[in-house]
Amino acid sequence: MIFCLLKVILTFFTGYVLSPFSVQDRLEVVKRFEVTFGTCSETLERDLMSFQKRLSSDEFVVLAEMDTPKGVDISNLVTNARRIKGRVDAVIIPDMDNGVMRMSSMGGGVLMHQQGMESIIHVYCRDRNRMALQGDILAAHVLGIQNLIVVHSEGMDKGDHRDAKTVNDLDEVELIKGIKSLQDGVDMAGFELNGSPKMTIGCTISPYADDSALEKELELARKKVQAGAQFIISPSVFDIDHFSRFMGKAKTLGVPIIPTVFLLKSVGIARYMATYEPGAHISEDLIKRIRKAPDRELECIRIAGETIKELKRFAQGVKIQTLGWEHRLPAILDQAGM
Amino acid sequence: MITAERKPMEEILECINPYNRILLVGCNECVTVCAAGGRKEVGLLSTALQMAFMKEGRTLEVKEITLERQCDPEYVEELITYIDQVEAVLSMACGCGVQEIARRYATKPVFPAVNTKFMGASERQGVWSERCRGCGDCLLGLTGGICPIARCSKRLMNGPCGGSTKGKCEISPDVDCAWNLIWERLKALGLEKKYEEIMVAKDWRPSWHGGPRRIIREDMAE
Repeated sequence: MIFCLLKVILTFFTGYVLSPFSVQDRLEVVKRFEVTFGTCSETLERDLMSFQKRLSSDEFVVLAEMDTPKGVDISNLVTNARRIKGRVDAVIIPDMDNGVMRMSSMGGGVLMHQQGMESIIHVYCRDRNRMALQGDILAAHVLGIQNLIVVHSEGMDKGDHRDAKTVNDLDEVELIKGIKSLQDGVDMAGFELNGSPKMTIGCTISPYADDSALEKELELARKKVQAGAQFIISPSVFDIDHFSRFMGKAKTLGVPIIPTVFLLKSVGIARYMATYEPGAHISEDLIKRIRKAPDRELECIRIAGETIKELKRFAQGVKIQTLGWEHRLPAILDQAGM
Repeated sequence: MITAERKPMEEILECINPYNRILLVGCNECVTVCAAGGRKEVGLLSTALQMAFMKEGRTLEVKEITLERQCDPEYVEELITYIDQVEAVLSMACGCGVQEIARRYATKPVFPAVNTKFMGASERQGVWSERCRGCGDCLLGLTGGICPIARCSKRLMNGPCGGSTKGKCEISPDVDCAWNLIWERLKALGLEKKYEEIMVAKDWRPSWHGGPRRIIREDMAE
């Protein structure tokens, strides 16, 4: 309790003395206090958090996705995160939702917190039942993670542990309702909590191939919003006109939409996506632009940067996804003028 | 066999409440053996439903029919004669039968009148117990003919757990500890050595964790 009071005083003090400095600098001071005196769950970091504030004040948010390692060597993750510290509002940490066993998103989220960066972690239903999910969410809050995205998970047969048993005790809508319930101080079995977590809950819209698929996705997203989702991550954008038409329909969902900007990396990837994901709307012109560029890698980075710039006109933020090329995030942000 | 139990009357009535003419379809296979949805149960449910409607001053027309097998398209085809005369179908077969009717008669609402329970065996008159979960990779040869997937509450592959007491499971004194049964059986067969072998983490792909399953017999498939 005394530590908590000390922390409150320290937070106000740092807020006053370090007011010309960034949120991250202030968090660093609070962090140093935590290292010395330990942590308490009722911290004031969430007041300093930029993602939640920017989201609720209709400001443009920049999110970068970073995978945790398959192992315990966190050097790349931490180094890449430090490179964009202060340039993004939060780092999105996927879990094992793509089916590959790796360090959990909670571990990654806590690492970001230790670096003074805000994180948004993925949660999903394939591997954990409602007990494990709720327990992890309580732990995530106490460890300083303030934001979650409830995501779709790939089938077990798509991953690297194909013989594992699938759980799927809940679906995405039920999980969002469960998290909302935890926020209201009651668990999914109806028992009262001793202190409830406060989280910003996000959800996703999956890639869609045509209008009929989009209609179903929007209806599902509406359910997720009704259940308690406060923002939506939408699929990758390669065609601004197509995205603006999507936004025309998605606006009715009533929560901020954050589209994904995916770094294409090569002609091969662009061609693959154009062939197998027709909903991505990768045009022949875009593929030609990459093919004809003297530096194709740089051209892909330029395309990502330009897309981010253009999306500022339509969306309330972007999620930058590089899938293994996190070291190129600073270059993408440079191109985007951020 | 696949076992089933009739749903509560209130739930069935709620399903068919909007309709006045229904087709009540039983099945002459598993649900007949476990006395949940055979010809006799179709007759009983039909009478009960009509009486429930009469109590509310309504009339329910019920066409009763019991098919040889509801999970077989060949027999489900027999309903074609009656399907247009009714507003909905109430099936007393297992979930396979209900879905076969739904597949064949795409525009007709179909409701289940029973809850499909498990694949089991008859213990004694009126008592059925779970014996198989259809994991797709039978290991009964390793466990003395007793399935730990279906009969151990924790589905342990290397049991028993600490909750096994006097041969009973911790969940209820009425439930046998499957691993105690396995041990006793292996002992009786002189196969104690088998018990000492560590079973590897099970591959769940042949079970439904790999998605909905199909069997294709190339020699039979048309």
